[in-house]
Amino acid sequence: MKKFLFIFLFLGVSTVVCQNKQVLYNWEVTPQTLLLNPGSLVTSQFHAGIPLASGFHINVGSSGVSVFDVFADDGIDINTKITNTISRLSSRDFFTINQQLDVLNFGWLSKGFEPMYFSGGIYQELDVIAYFPKDLAILAWEGNRNYIGKAFDFSHVSARADVLTVYHFGVNKQVSKKLTAGVRLKLYSSMISVSSTRNKGAFKTTERVGSNNIYEHTVTDLDMEVNTSGFISLDGLEQPQVSKKLLGRALLGGNLGIGIDAGITYQFDKQLSLTASVLDLGAIFHTKDTESYKAKGDYTLDGIELIFPELENDQSTIPYYDNLEDDIVREIPIDTLNTGYTQLRPTKINAGLHYDFGRFVGDKGGCNCKNKGTKQKRVSQAGVQYFSIFRPGGLQLAGTLYYNRRLGNALSIKTTYTIDSYSAKNIGAGMFLNIQGVNLFLAADNLLQMSNLAKANSVSLQVGLNYILN
Amino acid sequence: MDVKITKLFFIFVSMLLCVCCFDDTDFDQANDVLVTPAIELDLIYFNLEASKFYDYTNNTEILVVQDTTDLDFLGGNDIANILKGADFFFEFTNSIPRSFNVSFDFLNQDNVSKYLMQTTVASATADQPVVSYFIQSLDELQIKELTKAKKVLVTVTIPSSSQDLTGVLNLQSKTTYYLQIEQ
Repeated sequence: MKKFLFIFLFLGVSTVVCQNKQVLYNWEVTPQTLLLNPGSLVTSQFHAGIPLASGFHINVGSSGVSVFDVFADDGIDINTKITNTISRLSSRDFFTINQQLDVLNFGWLSKGFEPMYFSGGIYQELDVIAYFPKDLAILAWEGNRNYIGKAFDFSHVSARADVLTVYHFGVNKQVSKKLTAGVRLKLYSSMISVSSTRNKGAFKTTERVGSNNIYEHTVTDLDMEVNTSGFISLDGLEQPQVSKKLLGRALLGGNLGIGIDAGITYQFDKQLSLTASVLDLGAIFHTKDTESYKAKGDYTLDGIELIFPELENDQSTIPYYDNLEDDIVREIPIDTLNTGYTQLRPTKINAGLHYDFGRFVGDKGGCNCKNKGTKQKRVSQAGVQYFSIFRPGGLQLAGTLYYNRRLGNALSIKTTYTIDSYSAKNIGAGMFLNIQGVNLFLAADNLLQMSNLAKANSVSLQVGLNYILN
Repeated sequence: MDVKITKLFFIFVSMLLCVCCFDDTDFDQANDVLVTPAIELDLIYFNLEASKFYDYTNNTEILVVQDTTDLDFLGGNDIANILKGADFFFEFTNSIPRSFNVSFDFLNQDNVSKYLMQTTVASATADQPVVSYFIQSLDELQIKELTKAKKVLVTVTIPSSSQDLTGVLNLQSKTTYYLQIEQ
């Protein structure tokens, strides 16, 4: 069992809050912090990630339900537990999977007239979010029998999934003694994308309100859309051909998009600093291999009316059922479109207020040798962090308190306490190990739930291996 | 110093990994998941005028009128495998001063009867419409036969008629389908 869990965890099948990487944020010892804030303070001369191992991160989170809620070995019938769970969840609850794999990650300090730190790389990302379609779940699980008169809301259907690669290049510069700013340009290459958001409409069964029959089943103001890109051309292909196509898309052969990250670090004094960043401010333009399905209209069904026609010999009966199907298709047509569409990236905002204290660390007196005299590293740092991400259902927020302790230049430990959509007691921790410039970091989330992951709404694990030259 | 820190790091990681587990859970319960929706759906309706029971051209009674409609959603293995019960509810409002026999014969594609329901509708009294109900609940065995049907033949039989007969026989109907979907 533990071996299984080791593999499970090592592969990162663990969960974390959305795409929040609160342990990594402003953990200035890792190159990955530059991906979270291109305006981070950079203390290294050069860094290079081990290809495919410099950074790995995956989330599987659920805001309203844990594995334990459904699969607890408690003698209660699982169907009762599912009924209770459906009842408890709201349409604002969501399930997320986010995974990122650094393929390449590098950076270097350019010591020209204006010293700047350049960094770039490639990472692959999988991002899935699905809101809980509460009304449709009730309809599917229980049917409409106990819900006569209730409008089942189609707007609860909201989901999005993307697989893409991101090519990025950024520049970081200390603008003044107090201000460091950075910007990163991103080129997205979408491999597969599917989304269905901004749906509306309702289905209702009402009883005897001027109806010809006992009930009236109405679909009103229906407007639903599913956009896909990258699926049609994979249809019918063998696995090797699919892999080849996806690889081509990963190498800038997919639907392309562009985005930007920007960030700053502002030092109020030698101990207090403010950081802020905006990530993935951009869009992907799906123009190739797209297929969208759109259903729009209103319809009222009250059964099939028989009119008992007087038929002559050999005259066929009225095709009531076919007429009914034709009516439905005419009133609520499902159109298949191949037009392109633009999809905004889920923009993220990070911010933090950080306070350094304690004695100085480092064998060079803790100085920042790139920018002499600007800031000396101390053994301790504490602060607050803010994270938000724009999702189809609205803004998701998280707040974090943290403490970071440096043990020489070899070890840095960061602990976090986070409140977010999943939990109000999320304790996280990260350790960064530096052996002769080779750096290994490990960050985990929701440590209080580690003893029984089944009860966790979210847990995280991030690992990475880099070479950093200070 | 570095060696100690390295040991500390890996001890921490090992502890982290070793304490992780899924306790007090039983994932085999997934095999017991049973989705059991009960769906209320209108069936057929009609307004049968008394004049339908008289041939004014030939001045003869018409004692039997029939109509039929496909019910494609009823037939087929997919529905047969998940439909475990059904309650048919028929409500007649009769303002014709005659009683009626009404049958609902569920036929397969070859017009062979697979399931038959029959009822009697009470006559209207002194021009006052009379409401009658007919409810039929089908168990799993009867459902097996019903789901072999693709259409329903509705037959309305009147014992006698005349050209002066007035009124309307109204039917409204619905069915409750009990589905059971297993993993």
